[in-house]
Amino acid sequence: MAKTYDYLFKLLLIGDSGVGKTSILFRFSEDAFNISFISTIGIDFKIRTIDLDGKKVKLQIWDTAGQERFRTITTAYYRGSMGIMLVYDVTNEKSFENIKNWIRNIEENASADVEKMILGNKCDLDAKRQVSKERGEQLAIEYQIKFVETSAKDSLNVEYAFYTLARDIKAKMEKKQEASNPPGNRSGVHQLKDSDRQRKPTSWLSRCSLL
Amino acid sequence: MSEAEITTNTGDSPNDLVENGLNKLVVKCKYCGSKILDKKLGKYILQEKELPLMQQDTRKEGEIQNEKVNQFYHVENMFTFDNIGFTHTVDCYKYLSCADCDAGPVGYYDMNSKHSYVALSRIEHA
Ligand SMILES: Nc1nc2c(ncn2[C@@H]2O[C@H](COP(=O)(O)OP(=O)(O)OP(=O)(O)O)[C@@H](O)[C@H]2O)c(=O)[nH]1
Ligand SMILES: [Mg+2]
Ligand SMILES: [Zn+2]
Repeated sequence: MAKTYDYLFKLLLIGDSGVGKTSILFRFSEDAFNISFISTIGIDFKIRTIDLDGKKVKLQIWDTAGQERFRTITTAYYRGSMGIMLVYDVTNEKSFENIKNWIRNIEENASADVEKMILGNKCDLDAKRQVSKERGEQLAIEYQIKFVETSAKDSLNVEYAFYTLARDIKAKMEKKQEASNPPGNRSGVHQLKDSDRQRKPTSWLSRCSLL
Repeated sequence: MSEAEITTNTGDSPNDLVENGLNKLVVKCKYCGSKILDKKLGKYILQEKELPLMQQDTRKEGEIQNEKVNQFYHVENMFTFDNIGFTHTVDCYKYLSCADCDAGPVGYYDMNSKHSYVALSRIEHA
């Protein structure tokens, strides 16, 4: 059967236990009596199809197990993944500090050109906040990684985050293709300009805490 | 689409849903309408399988309630799906769920063959 997509990206959700990785992947549910069969077993990964500039992109998004600590996550774990969502909890200082350790672990074990993005999750819990949005932005600048605050509970910025990460991976791949192909062969491949990719980061950086 | 109508039609494939052995219509989630599989990408097959009920009765603790299902769309490559969730593995199977509302199982994935099967009675045609 013919291939039904243009790109396939494997993405991983990484971060301390309790930051909300599973909630980002799974529909957030506050039902104390959630009796669906699926919720008792849990989701391993999801496949999603998105359209990026007219290209059909399949995302395979993997949750990671809570007990895993960055010390125990090794190369096998990251194999094949092209994008990593680094998640911390804005109400948990320690989970924020550990982002640096997660980044170090990725640098040691994942492929060198894996795309990363930092998510400050649970931004709906403003009263309990321990990590300001500015500190999240500062960390992201330090590592030159994109950043956004999310709420799995309110489905805020979650879809946006996956689109952004996917778009960055696609741009990187097209850049590579361009480098390895003679320019004449490139017809039909829409190349994102740098200015497109960097478009107004402040507009989304400020979105979460305003709402 | 009535469930009863379909499950009693065990012999030939339902003409309004299957054409040339493939799903004639788009496969969507019954609950939220999320697009699961595009038309003509699932092969209609008959096989009897036990699938856990989507809603489990919590009063019957510890036992999983199943029902027999016999009409499926067979999908060889998981990346053929538009949007779908895969549960953790249970006895060589993963169960399939809606990627948007997590309703399921809408079918199962066989770890050995790496093929997926979507139950006609658990989805909506559109
Ligand atoms: N208020 C609020 N609570 C959240 C949010 N995301 C997750 N939670 C809650 O945080 C707790 C932990 O969420 P999980 O999704 O299980 O966290 P996890 O990262 O998967 O944890 P591990 O599987 O242990 O690694 C749960 O009680 C969630 O309901 C959010 O955006 N807002
Ligand atoms: Mg989890
Ligand atoms: Zn659904």
